[in-house]
Amino acid sequence: MTGDREHRVQIEHGPPDVDLGRVWIGVGAQVWRRHPRAPERLAGWLLRSPGLARALVTTPSLLLGWVLATTVVLLAGVLATRETGTPYVALLAPAIAAAGIAYAYGPGVDPAWELSGSMAVSDRMVLLVRASAVFGLNAALGLAAGGASGAATAVTFGWLIPMTAVCGLALAVATLAQSANAGVAAGVAGWAITVLCGQATTGRFTAAVTDSVLVLPYLAFAGCCAAIVLYATRIQRGTR
Amino acid sequence: MDDDELIAAVAGGDDVALRELFSRHAPWLATRLRAVLPAADVEDVLQETFLAVWRGAAGYRRDGAGGWLWGIARRQAALWLRRRGHSELVLDALLAAGGRPPAGTISADPAETALSRSELAAAVAALGPAGSPQRETWRLMYLEDRTVAEVAALMGVPAGTVKSRAYQVRRLMRAVLRRHEPLPERGGR
Amino acid sequence: MNVEISDLTRKFGRTRAVAGVSMQTGAGVFGLLGPNGAGKTSLLRMMATVIPPSSGRIRLLGRDPDDYRERRQIRRRLGYLPQNLGYYPGFTVVEFVEYFALLKEMPAAEVHRAVATAVERVGLGDQARAKLRTLSGGMLRRVGIAQAIVNEPELLLLDEPTAGLDPEQRVALRAVLREVGQRATVIVSTHLVEDVGAACGRVALMDRGKIVFHGTPDELTARATGTSAAGDAPLERGYSAVLAEARS
Repeated sequence: MTGDREHRVQIEHGPPDVDLGRVWIGVGAQVWRRHPRAPERLAGWLLRSPGLARALVTTPSLLLGWVLATTVVLLAGVLATRETGTPYVALLAPAIAAAGIAYAYGPGVDPAWELSGSMAVSDRMVLLVRASAVFGLNAALGLAAGGASGAATAVTFGWLIPMTAVCGLALAVATLAQSANAGVAAGVAGWAITVLCGQATTGRFTAAVTDSVLVLPYLAFAGCCAAIVLYATRIQRGTR
Repeated sequence: MDDDELIAAVAGGDDVALRELFSRHAPWLATRLRAVLPAADVEDVLQETFLAVWRGAAGYRRDGAGGWLWGIARRQAALWLRRRGHSELVLDALLAAGGRPPAGTISADPAETALSRSELAAAVAALGPAGSPQRETWRLMYLEDRTVAEVAALMGVPAGTVKSRAYQVRRLMRAVLRRHEPLPERGGR
Repeated sequence: MNVEISDLTRKFGRTRAVAGVSMQTGAGVFGLLGPNGAGKTSLLRMMATVIPPSSGRIRLLGRDPDDYRERRQIRRRLGYLPQNLGYYPGFTVVEFVEYFALLKEMPAAEVHRAVATAVERVGLGDQARAKLRTLSGGMLRRVGIAQAIVNEPELLLLDEPTAGLDPEQRVALRAVLREVGQRATVIVSTHLVEDVGAACGRVALMDRGKIVFHGTPDELTARATGTSAAGDAPLERGYSAVLAEARS
C-alpha cells in the first residue's frame, strides 16, 4: 500500500521538509565546541581579539612544560648563588629568555607559517604579543629569582637591559634564518661571548651585567635587532 | 554496536557514537515530532533532544533506547511549546494530522496513549469544546507537560480541582479509545 | 569582479616566477593549469596576499591589498590552501579549523557552527576530535580544505587541493568547489588536467610565468584538433598542444 511505503521511506530519511543535516551541525557545533580557559578569555578581552588570544596561549615557550623548565633552571641558579656568591641568576636569565623568545614565533616554530601569512590577524601582531609575553614572564621569573638569591639590587635589575639586547638578537636571527634553533644558538652564544669579554677585560663575571657604560650600547643593539625583525616581517616572505 | 552500547559510549564522551545514534534515530524521531510540530520547530527540538542525550546519557537504564529517546524528545517538545506558548496550534496540527504515526510504547496512561494514536481527534472532541475546563487541563498537563501545581496556578483553581479534572480527562479518553480497534503493537524503534 | 590583475610580475632574485599576467574573474570555479615551475604557486600566493607583486596592478574583492586596512578586509573574506600546509600535531581537527577561523577574525558567536559545518562538508565528521598526528595524508588535506572554507570565503584559493585524495574524495571535493563557486571565486591550481575538466568553468594555462591560454575546458580540448599532440584524454591533448605552441 502506498501509504505504508511512503511512511517507511519517511522513517529512513525523516520528513522531507526537515533538514537533518542542519540539525546534526547544530548538535556537533555544541558537542565539539572548545571552551577557552580563563587566561585565554582574559587575554581575548585585553587584546580585543580572540584570535590573538588563542595565538598567545599556544606559544610554544609559554606552555607549562617550558615554564616549569625555566623555573627549575632559575631555582638552580638561586641555590648556586647562595652557595657561591656568584650571581648566576643574572647570568642565566638573559640566555633563558633568549631561548624563549626564539621559540615564540616564526617559521622555525610554526609549521603552518605560509598559511599564517594570509590571516586577518597579522603575524606582526602575533609576534609582538607573543614576544612581549615571553619577555615579561622571563623578566618576572628572573626578578623573583634574583631577589630570592640575595644578590645586590644593581645585579638583580641590571640584567634586564642586556636581556633585551640578547632577546633582540635571538629573535632577529630566528626570523632571518627561519629557524628557532638558530635563534637560540645565536642568543646564547652572543650572551656567553659578552659575559666572557666582560670577565676578560675587568676580571669580574658580572661586568656584562653591572657596567653602566654598556646600557646605551645594549639598547642600541636591541633597537637594531627590532628594526631587522620589522623589516623581515613586512609582507615579503619566501625566496622561492 | 547496538543501541545500548552506543548510549554507553556516548556517556563516556564518545562523539562518534552520538553521531551514529543520530543517524539511526533522528529520522523516526523527526517524523514523530513532525506530526505535531512545524518543520522549523522540529529541527530545533531535535537538536535540543540530542544535546540532552549527550549530557544525560549516563542516566540511561538500558530499558529500551527507542522509548528513552522518545521520552527525551517529548520533554524537549513540551519545553519548547511552553516557551513558545503555541500549544493551541499544536492541537490543530494534531487534529489535522491524517496519517497514522508510528506505534510507540503503549503507556498505561490512556491520555499518553491517545497522543500517539490517530483517534486523537475523536478523543479530544470528547473532552468538550475548546476552552472548556477539561480541554484546557489536557492541553496544559499533557501537551505542555506541566505539573499539577503549575496548572492550578495558571487556571486559578485549587490543585484538587485540577486532579479531579485530569481524572475526568483520562476517563473520557479511555471511553473513546475503547470504542476503536486497538493498533497492533509494533514496539518502539 | 572579485579578482582584477593587470601585468603582474613577481621576481625572486633574478628569476621571474610570474612574468606579466593579466586576468579578471568573477564568481565561478577557475582552473589554473601548468607544468611545475610555471608560476602558478607564486601567482596564487600574490592573490592570497602572502607576498606582494614586484610590479603590476592587483585588486582583490574590489580592494587594494597594498593598503593595510583593505588587506585585512580581504583576508577576512579569503580562503587559502597552500601547497604544503604544515599541521600542529597535537591539535584536533576541530581545534585546527577553529584556530584559523579565529585568526580570520570570524565573529566569535558564529565560529562553532562554522567549524562544524566545514568539518562535515569535507567528510571528517567522524574524526572531528581526532588528533592531527593520527590522520592520513588525504585526511590532512581535507582538514586544510576545511580551514579554507570555514569563513565562507568570497575568494577561495587552492593549491593542489586533490593531492593525496582518492577518486571518491576528489569527486566529493569537486562538489564542494562547485557549490562554493556559485557565490564566490574559486581558483584551483593543479597539474592534474582531469581535475580541471570536471569542476572548472574556465581555465588558464600558465607556462614560464605567462598565461598561454585562457578559455573554457572545451576550447582547450579544441586546440588539439589538427595537431599530433600527446595525451590520453582530449583535455590532455589540448594542454600539450597549447604548451608545444607556446614553446615553439
